[in-house]
Amino acid sequence: MVLKPRLEDIKIIGYYLGKIILGLGLTMLIPIIIGLAFGEINPALDFLIGIEIALIFGLILIKLCFTEKDLNWMQGMIVVSLSWLAAMLLGAIPLYLSGHWKSYLDACFDAMSGFATTGLVLVQDLDHLSYTHNLWRHLIMFIGGQGIVIVALSFFVRGASGALKMYVGEARDEKILPNVIHTSRFIWLVSIVYLILGTLALGAVGVLNGMKPINAFFHGACVFMAAFDTGGFAPQSQNILYYHSLAFEIITIIIMILGAINFKMHYHLWTGNRREIFKNIETKTLFITVVVTFCITAFGLTQIGSYPKAIVLFRKGFYQLISGHTGTGFMTVYARQFINEWNELALVGVICAMGFGGAVCSTTGAIKMLRIGIIFKALKQDLKRIIMPERAIVVQKFHHIKEIFVEDRLARSALLITLAYLVLYGLGAIIGMLFGYPFINSLFESTSAAANVGLSCGITDASMPAALKLTYIFQMWAGRLEFMSVFTLVGFFVAAIKGKR
Amino acid sequence: MKIKSFLNATLGISIEVLYALFIMLAAFLICLVLYFNK
Repeated sequence: MVLKPRLEDIKIIGYYLGKIILGLGLTMLIPIIIGLAFGEINPALDFLIGIEIALIFGLILIKLCFTEKDLNWMQGMIVVSLSWLAAMLLGAIPLYLSGHWKSYLDACFDAMSGFATTGLVLVQDLDHLSYTHNLWRHLIMFIGGQGIVIVALSFFVRGASGALKMYVGEARDEKILPNVIHTSRFIWLVSIVYLILGTLALGAVGVLNGMKPINAFFHGACVFMAAFDTGGFAPQSQNILYYHSLAFEIITIIIMILGAINFKMHYHLWTGNRREIFKNIETKTLFITVVVTFCITAFGLTQIGSYPKAIVLFRKGFYQLISGHTGTGFMTVYARQFINEWNELALVGVICAMGFGGAVCSTTGAIKMLRIGIIFKALKQDLKRIIMPERAIVVQKFHHIKEIFVEDRLARSALLITLAYLVLYGLGAIIGMLFGYPFINSLFESTSAAANVGLSCGITDASMPAALKLTYIFQMWAGRLEFMSVFTLVGFFVAAIKGKR
Repeated sequence: MKIKSFLNATLGISIEVLYALFIMLAAFLICLVLYFNK
């Protein structure tokens, strides 16, 4: 029997949602400061309006729903899924006010793409967007990559014992440190250290390539945030192609791979457990899947002779592949080149890479390396069971920080999430085909959206049907949260309608 | 103690960067193999 949610459930959800909205609103202070520093008064005002709206909604929710009770699992999951929708709606306000988005829906699309670290864009005339708005586009990727709730946990929800429920609801099922708030702070430490190093490296390359220092370091910071958080936005409409620099491409590849590494792995490597990188199932699986998918793509590209030189194949073929695999979405080709210059085999390699994703507890989306590794280990275990005598006891282990036995429960959970992703990829592809797009284009774009990648073969455009925009928004949201929070929200609404008192 | 933590973190970062370079090297080797086998 399904029970109708109580008023108390709604109050608790509203109270925590209000806190997170308040926190999100306060993050808009950063673009305001940058806007004032660059003398961009009007763009700064757009953010002032955004903050006001966020503060009003946040404070009303906190006041109306005030409670001292802690979250339970169901409430935590719902707070997370609603927080991401609220972030999209609020984050889109200053974007829409800039006049660079044709409609509020387009601004919402880009805001969700940013928060979910996807990188698909509908912005118009990006090359003339203000520094303030451009910074906000990249900042929302940084916030979303760490996790909206992580931001709130680190700075605004101190000591809340319901923190763990929200942390898990945001698709981070691994705690790095025993305390979830310390875990959040460690995630920020890693990100800030790399932000400084990455911005310096990219900024220096920009200066050496002739950019003005202030521009070079602004671009460096923006590109770092998009690369480490595997987002894929860039300050210019040509994306990474704008820089025409091998050094820039190599540094961004390194940052993308760093972003695809598990934060727990960062912790172990940074605290002296250096052998972990050689033993961990995720780093081994990532290496194997990158090599396999790149072989497919490179072979496809060689078949049609698109990139005859080895270095060009690396800069065009491998760059898109690793960008897709890590879920970043940076591009060194134009969107239409995927269709005009790549054959289907090459595209299949990239689609598989996008579908696999990076490590769990990283900033990437998609199925993820741990699950792929577990599924292969479970398959190996089953094959051994068939081959070996019936009485033999078959045990399969894998290393992920510690030795773990492959149990049916683990394999089932990995397979279920994998299946959910495959359904999401397929569903988006079918909807794309319903709107008249060819199969391979639809599958490419759908996988890119659901796996939070951001590579585009040209479907994503301001002129695409609104229903397809909504489909991709849903895919980005569900894919980023790894379904559980979304399913819980759906269940909550079903219980509200059909449940018994 | 702080120096040891700093050294550990620096070495950790270096290993992570080497891992990324290793993946890139493998990819570039694939490019070379395909280029010479055309």
